[in-house]
Formats: sequence, C-alpha cells, structure tokens
Amino acid sequence: MRLPRFFSKKRGHRRTGSEVWGSVGEALFHATLVVAGVAFGGFLITGIAVPEWRINHDFIERRGTVVGKGLARRGPGSAAAAQASWQPSIRLRYAVGAEPVVAWAFDGIPETDRTRALERLDRTSLGEEKICWYDPDRPTHVVLSRGYNWWVWALTLLLPGALLAFGGAGLSRSLGRWGRSQERQAATGHRPRDPLANEPTSTPGHPGVPSCEDLVNSPGTILRYRLPIESPESWNLLGLGLFAVLWNAVVVLLAVNAGLDLLGGRIDWLLLAVLVPFAVVGVAGVVAFTRSLVLATAVGTTQLEISAHPLRPGGTYEALLAQGGAGAFSDLEMSLELEEQATFRQGTDTRTERLVVWKSPLGSWPGLQLAPGTRFEARATIHVPSSAMHSFASEHNGVNWRIVIRGRPARWPAFTRAFPVVVFPLAAGEPAA
Amino acid sequence: MTNLPEASRQPPSVTLHFCAADRRYEPLQSIEVRYLVDLPPGQVVRAVERSIVWYTEGKGEEDIGVHSFDRLTDRAAAGAATGSFGGRLPASPLSYEGVIVKIRWCVRVRLFFDAGRDFVSEHVFDLGRVPAAAFPTRS
Repeated sequence: MRLPRFFSKKRGHRRTGSEVWGSVGEALFHATLVVAGVAFGGFLITGIAVPEWRINHDFIERRGTVVGKGLARRGPGSAAAAQASWQPSIRLRYAVGAEPVVAWAFDGIPETDRTRALERLDRTSLGEEKICWYDPDRPTHVVLSRGYNWWVWALTLLLPGALLAFGGAGLSRSLGRWGRSQERQAATGHRPRDPLANEPTSTPGHPGVPSCEDLVNSPGTILRYRLPIESPESWNLLGLGLFAVLWNAVVVLLAVNAGLDLLGGRIDWLLLAVLVPFAVVGVAGVVAFTRSLVLATAVGTTQLEISAHPLRPGGTYEALLAQGGAGAFSDLEMSLELEEQATFRQGTDTRTERLVVWKSPLGSWPGLQLAPGTRFEARATIHVPSSAMHSFASEHNGVNWRIVIRGRPARWPAFTRAFPVVVFPLAAGEPAA
Repeated sequence: MTNLPEASRQPPSVTLHFCAADRRYEPLQSIEVRYLVDLPPGQVVRAVERSIVWYTEGKGEEDIGVHSFDRLTDRAAAGAATGSFGGRLPASPLSYEGVIVKIRWCVRVRLFFDAGRDFVSEHVFDLGRVPAAAFPTRS
C-alpha cells in the first residue's frame, strides 16, 4: 500500500500541499467540530437542560416550613473574599409520604454584594411556610422556584447546533468530494469554495465575462451612461472610522473603570499601564480618520459618462470627464487601462496582487483652475484595440478594464479614481466594432 | 496530476488528435477529439472521465470552469482503447497569456484504475486569438 504524497505539483511551477492530505485534514477538522458539538450538546443537555426540565415536570409540590436560613458562599476562599458571591439558602421541613424531610434549598440567584444577600435573606422568617418542589428520586433535593431560563436553552441549542451544522456541512462536503476528480467536482458543484473569495456573476452566454448590469443602470446627463466609481478610498475611510469608534469605545470602558477605581480610593496600576498605550492608539486612530476624511472630501467629485456599454474590441466610444471642486490642478489625466488581478494565499493571509499590463492615454489637461460652483468638463475618444482581451472574472483571478483619472491638485495629495468598464469578446466571424 | 497504478511504474499513454491540426479554435466553433489509450499489461480501467475545461494559471489560486464533462463507468466503454468526444465551444473565456493571470483551455482524459489510482492526460488548445500581454506596468 502506498500512502498519498504530502506534496503535489501545482501549475505555475510551485509545490503546494497534497490534495489528498488536504481533504483528509479538512474532513478531520470538520469531524472534530461534529464530535465537539455532540459532546458539548450532550454536556449542556444532561447537565443543565434535563435537570431544569425535570424540575418543571417530575418534581412534586409540597408546602414546607422554614426551619433555618443562612448564606452560602460561592467562589474562592477567604483570601479572595472580594470575588466571592453569596446565595440566600433556606432550610425547609416538608413531608414526603408520611416521613418528614429536612433539606436546604437555594433562594434565588447568588449576589456579589453580601449586604444585599442578607437583606434578601431577612425577608424570610423562621416558621414561615413556602411552596417547594422535591425530587421524587432524591427527596432531599428541593427547589423553591420553577420555570425555564431562556439563555440555557438558547445556549443548549445555539452553540452545539452551530458546531454540528458547520462541522456536519463541512464533513458532508469533504465526503462528497472524496475520490472525485477536479473536473467532476467542478461539474457537479462539489468544488471547494474559498469563503473569503467572491464568486463573480457571469454574463449569460459569456462564461467568465463579468456582468455589467451595475454599470448601465445610471443614465448620464450628456452621454448615455454614467459610470460608477471604484473607490477603495471609501472602504479605507469606512475601515478607519470603524476602527477609531470601536477602539475608542474600549478606551472609554477602560477609562471609566480606572476613574471609578480612583474615586473609590484605589489605583489599579496594571489598568493604568494598559490604558495609556490604548489611549495613544485611540487618538492616532481619530487623527488618521479625520485626515482621510479631509483628503477624501477636499478634492471635488469626479464623474465619467460614456456613450455605450459594454465595450467591444475594435470599438470607438466617447467619454465625458467632469471634475468638481475648487482650486488649481497642476495636472489631470485620463487613461484606459487593462489590469490583471490575482488573489492567492500566503500562509494564513489572503493577498491580492494587481498589475496594469496595458495602458492607453486618453487625455491630459495641465494647469487647470477650477472655480467654486462650476466643474471642469472634457471629452475624450476611447478606442479599444481589435485584439484586446475581454474582461474576465473568476473566483481568484480577473482581467479588468478601467478608465482611470489621475489628478494632482496644487494644495492636496495626488489622487487616482478608477471607473470599471466591461469589454465583451467578439463572436466568431463578427467584425471588430 | 499523474498517479501511477500500484501494479506498474510504467505509465499508460493517451494519444489525442484534435480536429484542428493547429489546436486553435474560434469562439462557438465545434471541437472534436479522438483519443487512443495504450495501457501497460495487467492494468484494468474501471472508469474514464472526458472533459473540456478552462483553468487559470499564474500568481493567483487556480480557478477552473468545466465546459463539458462525461464519465464512462461501463466496463466495456471505459476499457475501450479508443474514443472520441467533442461539442461546440463557448463564446468565452478566451485563451489568454497574461503576466500574472493566464487562461488555458484543455481537453482532459482521466483514467481510473482498479487499484484505486488515476492517470490524467491533459492536452492544451487555444480558444480565440488574443495576443500575449506584453507591457507590464506596476500599479
């Protein structure tokens, strides 16, 4: 018997992990999740859910007499008494058949404040009668309240359910792929999918050519379509904003805790040591976000309209550039570019590399002076080469056509704004557009 | 991937003939291929998969698209020394020789042996006439 190889050759002259061992590892990982789900679910059901269900269904109701009371201490010993919790406990006498039974029962939930627990305990008097329920299998096990805790059931169903669903689905996928060739997996939809990658939508009748529906749903003011902008800057801005908000929320929480400690006459040096660098990072996050916001809004908007879409190899089209804002631009350029995009894994990271492999200048406007309330407009002719590659998009790879505007305002950093376009392939025998 | 059967280290051979001698096809054109399987003695084929696929090559993870696929599990058909298949090619994606992204079209004949191993024979062809990308500029 020969074991599968650990390494197999991947196209592109690289060695990657063996598919067989990869599948085995994936199946084992998902099987582990299933086992963890079963074990965790079993623990929660037998340890928490079933006892609660029995209290509500099997336990027998009695009227008991309070013959004693006290506080039960939970948590660490006296050395860490501040972290202990206190639970009022009642000693009850009740009848089981003809026999009297005396047992302790907890009254309500534990309190971290001992004084409050004592106040609760004072509400019960010796000799008072209380309704209680005892376990017919173990008559000394008695409770003073019944009902269900929704969070116990949610925990019982949710966490193990998620483990079972995720692990079970993965295991079933792994088993479904087992022994199937790469082509068969792709043909039958059992191909492993990258959860971090987007499966692009293809144009009907043109496999691999991205759909351009989102690019033709906005009419232009002068030309036929107004193209949407591809704005990684906006996502960066959103990311920076989210980071600043979340990070500073943590800083505020830490600061409130430190402030309460100081008011109580205590100084938690460890908390202060953590708070100072956290506050520095928080301030830096706000500064970075504000700077990006100013840069993104200081230069006016760029709009681009085009006479037809999708584009075809050999086709000639008209484009209208409109640049808003105020102030001087030392240069404004427009170009048509073909960019290749490859997404790959490097260790545990997923990286995307982009490379412009073809570029054609469409226009250049030096020394612009934009007045407030007006916009600079310029027309340009776009010619797509007759032998051009069509737009292509798959899960991890892409060939993207874009009209790119590069500007250099006098007072602000240079900016680049890209407007994606889709180039369709020519059909057999079809002359270039 | 080429996995040899346990019984022998001598690989099988699959000879494939395209209907176009230069292996270049236009979008929506028909393709017909004929293959000849030469098995070393003692090897028994239990299934054959025949497919026309495109895949990406280059810096990114490999993506694959299956244009046509069939699997012969009938012993007589799978064990036949010759066979042919084909169909009409799609309009896209066209073969592309980019810098970090390449798109290849190929015909694959995959043999599954009784011993549990498989052997795949891959034959690349071109769809369309897109010239190779030649002027990379770092963005």
